[in-house]
Amino acid sequence: MDIYREEVLDHYKTPRNQGKLVGDDVLTASGANSSCGDSIKVYLRVTEGKIDEVRWEGSGCAISTAAASKLSQYLQGKTVKALTKMSEDELTREAIGLKVNPGRLKCLMLPATVVRKLLGN
Amino acid sequence: MFDPQLIRKDFPILSREVNGKPLVYLDSAATSQKPRQVLDAEREYYEHQNANVHRGAHTLGDESTHLLDVAREKVQLFIVAPRKEEIIFVRNTTEAINLVAYSWGSGYLAKDDVVVTTVMEHHSNMVPWQSAAERRGAKVEVVGLTESGQIDMKDYRKKLELKPKLVAFAHVSNTLGTVNPVAEMTKLAHKAGALVLVDGAQAVPHMPVNVAALGCDFYVFSGHKMLGPMGVGVLWGRKELLEAMPPFLTGGGMIDEVYPDHATWAALPDKFEAGTPNVAGAVGFTSAIDYLEKLSMKDVWEHDRELVAYALQRLSTVPEVKILGIRDSEMRSGSVAFVYSGVHAHDVATILDSEGIAVRSGHHCTMPLHSSMGVAASVRASFSVYTTKDDIDALITALEKVKKVFNT
Repeated sequence: MDIYREEVLDHYKTPRNQGKLVGDDVLTASGANSSCGDSIKVYLRVTEGKIDEVRWEGSGCAISTAAASKLSQYLQGKTVKALTKMSEDELTREAIGLKVNPGRLKCLMLPATVVRKLLGN
Repeated sequence: MFDPQLIRKDFPILSREVNGKPLVYLDSAATSQKPRQVLDAEREYYEHQNANVHRGAHTLGDESTHLLDVAREKVQLFIVAPRKEEIIFVRNTTEAINLVAYSWGSGYLAKDDVVVTTVMEHHSNMVPWQSAAERRGAKVEVVGLTESGQIDMKDYRKKLELKPKLVAFAHVSNTLGTVNPVAEMTKLAHKAGALVLVDGAQAVPHMPVNVAALGCDFYVFSGHKMLGPMGVGVLWGRKELLEAMPPFLTGGGMIDEVYPDHATWAALPDKFEAGTPNVAGAVGFTSAIDYLEKLSMKDVWEHDRELVAYALQRLSTVPEVKILGIRDSEMRSGSVAFVYSGVHAHDVATILDSEGIAVRSGHHCTMPLHSSMGVAASVRASFSVYTTKDDIDALITALEKVKKVFNT
């Protein structure tokens, strides 16, 4: 069970950067996989084109939770410009780096999909 | 003599491995596996008879037309329908319900009319009624459940006071396994002046079904959940209702006469079977019914009784498992759905898959039901004639791996 390796379970059990951000400089977006009940809301505080702070809240399976946790760490300090150049696939590969069966792809992709939506094109 | 070990020998797929482990297929409510007899029947049809039906006067066409007719009669007798022409072949249960929702809906559903469904319905017995109601300016009223997952008959009677035009409900819930009191519910609905459509997708594979005795007006089900091929489903409806309803799909095969500006419709069943039918599928379906009849539906039902009781008993020994639906195995059929405490259903299913075990995870096309139970997703193990107690034992053993991985 490679996908449930220790690192993934660690992020699942103690997710990083969970919480909310408030303020005029905070961007938010949310998304859900209605077929499994996974839902996530992402908050980014952007200062001068750079991501200062990342928080997210939501609930879901181990894969979507670990993906959100890992992605939140990756986003910290990145420029919006660099991120908008990355596709959902690239973002998922770079930030999360997990391989799942096609049936679980939606779980894995959800956080990156929300972040892409948030940052626009 | 009903012997699942012997039956298994007829299902080629059951000898394959998944992730290096023997396949344990516990997803028969989604689709059943197919015996060699069904696969052979389809192949032989394409090798020997394949031609379009009702066309011209050549031997293959005649033979194909005959085989479609044989399938229709087979289905008629299997569900004890009064007339052969009342059996309409469609692709699946969903299409059968849509046929009624569109056709009957456009003919008979008017503004402010009410259609009643229940919260345990599969989306396919809910969304078509929502859409029909939207098109016609009608309303859908949804009956709630008791805490044990049965239809709340008090609420049902209350909804019937609204004088609905039609009531639609499942014979057996695809998520809770609840067997609903179809005859009683039908009687009450008729008294209130409503027609009754019963979704039999999860009932016909497991128990003897007699539509005449149930008393309902429409009964729908799919071949692929009862050992038959994908792509063949059945709408049974009372002749006088089907005759009065406008066509659903129009075009070839369903007409009597066509003029440049209008057309007249063929008699039943052709009126509702536009386009080239799935003859090979119907031939496979015939073979599937033959197979079930040879086993005897009474024994198929007894086998289901045993499996459901055993699964409930074994799953209740796992402390992390919370079983959905009523605990009395006599009140349910076909499947057992559950939630594993602290682990998402998809994670449970992925770990089970690594052990070769196929289960369904998610909301099983019953989102309103899952929401009403406050559950985002569940795991469902479901059975068929080839399912054994060993399969259920394998599930219980594999659940220990879930515990190990997630350290619950």
